[in-house]
Amino acid sequence: MNRNQGSLLTSIYTIIALGITMIFFFPLWWSFSNSLRIPKETFTVTGVGIPFINFTPTLGNWTHQLSFPEAHIALYNSSFIAVVSTALAIIVGLPAAYALARFRFRFPPNKDITIWFISQRVLPPAAAVVPFFVLWNMLGIYDTKFGMIIVQTTFIMPFVVVIVRQTFLDLPIELEEAAMVDGATHIGAFLKVAVPLSVPAIAAASLIMFTFAWNDYFFVSVLMMKNFTLPIYIAGGVDSRGVQFWFIAVRTMIAVILPLILCLLAQRYIVRGLTLGAVKG
Amino acid sequence: MIRWDKRIKLLFLLPAVIWVLALTIAPLFFSLYLSFTDVKREVVITGVEEIPILDKDGNPKTRSDGSIRTKKVKQKELQIKYDWVGFKKYKRVVNDQEYQDAAKFTFIYVIISVFVEIVLGLFLAFLFNRRIYGRGFMRSLMILPIFATPFAIGFMFFTILFEVSGPLAWMGIPFLSNHNWAPFSVMLVDIWQWTPFCFLVFLAALQGIPDDLIEAATLDTKSAYKIWTSVILPLLQPIIVLVILLRVAESAKLYDYIASLTKGGPGTATQSVSFLVFNKAFKMNDFGYASAGSFLMLIVVMIFVMLFFTRLRKTYE
Amino acid sequence: MINKVITTFVTLLSALAIALPAVAGKHVNWKDDGTVDLIHEDGTVINITREQLGAAYGPDEKPFEGETITVLSLDSGPKGGISGPLYSARPIWEELSGAKVELALVPFADLYSKMMLDMKNGTGLYDATITGAFFYGDLVDGNYIIPVEDIGYGTPDYGQWSYDSIPPNLRKLHEWNGVGYGVMNDFDGQVFYYRTDAINNPEMAAQYKAETGDELKVPETLQELLQISAFFNGKNWDKGDDETDYGTVLHLKVGEQGHYHFQSLSASFAITPGPLDKYHGVYWFDPDDMTPLINSPGHKAALNFLKELHKTGPAAQIGWSLGEAWDVFLRGKAVFTFSWGDVGSLCQDESRSNIKGVCGSIAIPSSTVYYDHEKKVMVETDNPVTYGNTTGGTWHGVVSQFSENPEAAYAYLAFMATEPWHMWSAANGWTGVDPGAYFNYLEPNGTATMDQYDAYGWAPTDIQMYSDAYYDNYTAPISLEYLRIVCTPEYWDIMDKNLSAAMSGQKTTDEALDDTAASWEEITDRCGRDRVLNMYQEAIGYNQ
Repeated sequence: MNRNQGSLLTSIYTIIALGITMIFFFPLWWSFSNSLRIPKETFTVTGVGIPFINFTPTLGNWTHQLSFPEAHIALYNSSFIAVVSTALAIIVGLPAAYALARFRFRFPPNKDITIWFISQRVLPPAAAVVPFFVLWNMLGIYDTKFGMIIVQTTFIMPFVVVIVRQTFLDLPIELEEAAMVDGATHIGAFLKVAVPLSVPAIAAASLIMFTFAWNDYFFVSVLMMKNFTLPIYIAGGVDSRGVQFWFIAVRTMIAVILPLILCLLAQRYIVRGLTLGAVKG
Repeated sequence: MIRWDKRIKLLFLLPAVIWVLALTIAPLFFSLYLSFTDVKREVVITGVEEIPILDKDGNPKTRSDGSIRTKKVKQKELQIKYDWVGFKKYKRVVNDQEYQDAAKFTFIYVIISVFVEIVLGLFLAFLFNRRIYGRGFMRSLMILPIFATPFAIGFMFFTILFEVSGPLAWMGIPFLSNHNWAPFSVMLVDIWQWTPFCFLVFLAALQGIPDDLIEAATLDTKSAYKIWTSVILPLLQPIIVLVILLRVAESAKLYDYIASLTKGGPGTATQSVSFLVFNKAFKMNDFGYASAGSFLMLIVVMIFVMLFFTRLRKTYE
Repeated sequence: MINKVITTFVTLLSALAIALPAVAGKHVNWKDDGTVDLIHEDGTVINITREQLGAAYGPDEKPFEGETITVLSLDSGPKGGISGPLYSARPIWEELSGAKVELALVPFADLYSKMMLDMKNGTGLYDATITGAFFYGDLVDGNYIIPVEDIGYGTPDYGQWSYDSIPPNLRKLHEWNGVGYGVMNDFDGQVFYYRTDAINNPEMAAQYKAETGDELKVPETLQELLQISAFFNGKNWDKGDDETDYGTVLHLKVGEQGHYHFQSLSASFAITPGPLDKYHGVYWFDPDDMTPLINSPGHKAALNFLKELHKTGPAAQIGWSLGEAWDVFLRGKAVFTFSWGDVGSLCQDESRSNIKGVCGSIAIPSSTVYYDHEKKVMVETDNPVTYGNTTGGTWHGVVSQFSENPEAAYAYLAFMATEPWHMWSAANGWTGVDPGAYFNYLEPNGTATMDQYDAYGWAPTDIQMYSDAYYDNYTAPISLEYLRIVCTPEYWDIMDKNLSAAMSGQKTTDEALDDTAASWEEITDRCGRDRVLNMYQEAIGYNQ
């Protein structure tokens, strides 16, 4: 293969890849573009919706939406629930991940416990939501952030267990043994040696858990009433008089912008995270 | 392995296990119980306490006719009655045309969208594994859909699939107004969001294949197709299986997209099991139907997972 | 590191969000002449007399100081239908009353479930709900709401409004067995909108004459309407672009409000005119035994007609909810639509409409054929009577039995029912609040003046037709009965799905309506036939 042919092929591949990338990026772009249009133009702008070329943009929808407290409440609730559930999942899940990596369990064996954790992700939420609804009402934690945090923590915990378990397995055990020879307790070895060395994996798991908790609509729409989060806030853009796409677009952007940034930050770990530790990215 | 004392290892593991057990298995049993019962809930007001409303100085506030305004605090009791009805709910669900249609749609939806995602993901991984310009940048753009809020994506696609003057209107396809096309539109959304995931995983796996393996194969044959079928695909096979499992389990939950995109319509053409069950429970207050319906779904998903069980155990060895 | 980034980001976003709102000004100006100026966030001023406002309020009187109420409503944000006025009224009423108002956000599809969950559990999260009249069956059945007389209606204390200012067909939607529960707000009924410039265009008239042999005029019957709609569809009759235009545009999306089109339209096919008895004036059920009438030949003829009508508009409308359909009409791309009062007022909103001044309205024309339930035959008539309808939610507030501050909740609702406030919200399109009270109609039907509407930017010809159309609709001799029984949402849900299936071709007309009837029988049995039958008779005022 000569050099020219190689670079020609590279160009062709690049163009194809770029085309596909643009197609995948387009919906996000379109939504952003929508948020800058006046209502009348929602369905009339042609081309790819570039501001100043295809239409005259306005920030009206944004200022309007952000000037009401509901937007801040949704943003605050979503952040609070996602952050606290993630933290809680780490506190409870991390030791379990460590246990699965370092100790041998016989009944049931380690791998079955791991798979059992994973199976929580498989569970259809529709099967769990009715009992949650009834129980939460009985316990008086219906429509509370606390109740929501419990639910989210439950369903994101498999991520931290499975992802970090893999990292712990890859750590040389000698480091912990050395610490223990120096007089550290088991717990000390875990906290002072294993955890600090796994920070990148823990961070990756956190980002993924945060996003899942942030994006959830199904549980929130059932278990929350006055306390609403961003997806519910987005749904609120639909009224008895139809869908207000211009406001929905703004709300959508508010909701997706944080996960998108996190996604870019966590790029390196997404593969491992979303395959639950089975594939190393 | 260090010999740790038994209590320590349980101390590490048990909190998480108990947490998850208590919050998934227990509700599931409760749900199972609900599916065999009729639930009647009634609030009975047992007493009313009238407390005068005071102003800043501590004097009671009055109406214009001089009477004192009060705050009425009601004591109430929530009475819930469970009547055992056996398999009645299951019979109703199984015989319900709506449920059958929803199950059929969900099934087809899962099969087609996962299939397309895998194939497209493999193709993209192949493409990005080549030498191309700006790979990192394009890769970053490609993976953005994965983390976007699914419920919001439904609305996003509504504007994109808008048939009169939307960006895809030139195709002349009745994306959302025709009962034959609408299911594909929903699949399109799933494919848009999750192909990047498949792509990313396969790309990672491809890059993990040692170069000398491929070089060795190139010595045998010049056909790229042969190299793929005889070397690369077999190596990727465990990962493909895992991705199929994860995608099937996730996409079977289908709810968010249709809640914002089609509302299950037109007619019932895009009504998924989750959507139907949700509506029965929280719009019609028919918890029995919902529990029975979701249990049937859970059983099907579980059977599917079992099929992959041995493969999974190897992965987490 | 990453956590830092997140925290910074969240802080930044919230800071941005908090920094934006304008500095809250004073919202109430007590004037010396005994009137009060209510000042909106955007500067709009509503002048109201102190009597109308209510005696409990005063410059130094804040009757609900320290109390908090939560109102559950359809939400589409601060500038959206139904919730919009709640947002606008909030700061003003908060300043007046000293109370704090919390608005709970719920999309249309979730309103019923959220409200009922709160009621059935007796949690009392919501003091008041802006409810649809079709929820009354469930609300009254469970004794979940408080009659307004118990919490301040009829006293001079709070906002002054009266049931007497509402035409009877609408008034009964706020009452049950003669007891008032609802505080008037929005009034819903569908009327028919048309483009006056298109119908009066001599060129089109000549072409129409040539094609059909008839004169082009405002349709008087549904059959004429269909013919005209078909004529306009696919032609480029709207000036100034190269897009083809449509005949009739509808909103037919399932799970939204598509079935209301069918209800309004089918009334004149399916109801046998005459004083209410087993065969006359009934639409939903046989009032003796709850046999569904939905698959009668009249209903089927109506559905077939709707199918024909929908072919004279964009095919995509099967998947459209209100906003998208209205958008087409407002941009001037369709000659007809029939829908709620919002369209008329949105026509005046130039950020959304190109058709101000050419937006005509009339009560929905009737069909020349209808079904006689007694003789079991389809009857033809040349001069069909006008069928009114109160189709829709007539979204208005009711106060929950479990509220701790029912009077404050009532006062907030009553504030928005006062004449000046109601005129403001009825005359503005974006509020989603539609006219219906006598003071909303122009003289001589009502007491409103052209000046009042002029102040809100209405084109005089548009408002005249609009006011007349609604007056005709709400005072029509025969009106589509309103289904207000327990399980109504369930009956409608299955009907909605079947109608949508029929419209998209998934089922035939016969299949769709026969399936609906079969499901209704099942629902009736499940909800208790006797209970439902009793309520049905009570709701329509039927005595054997």
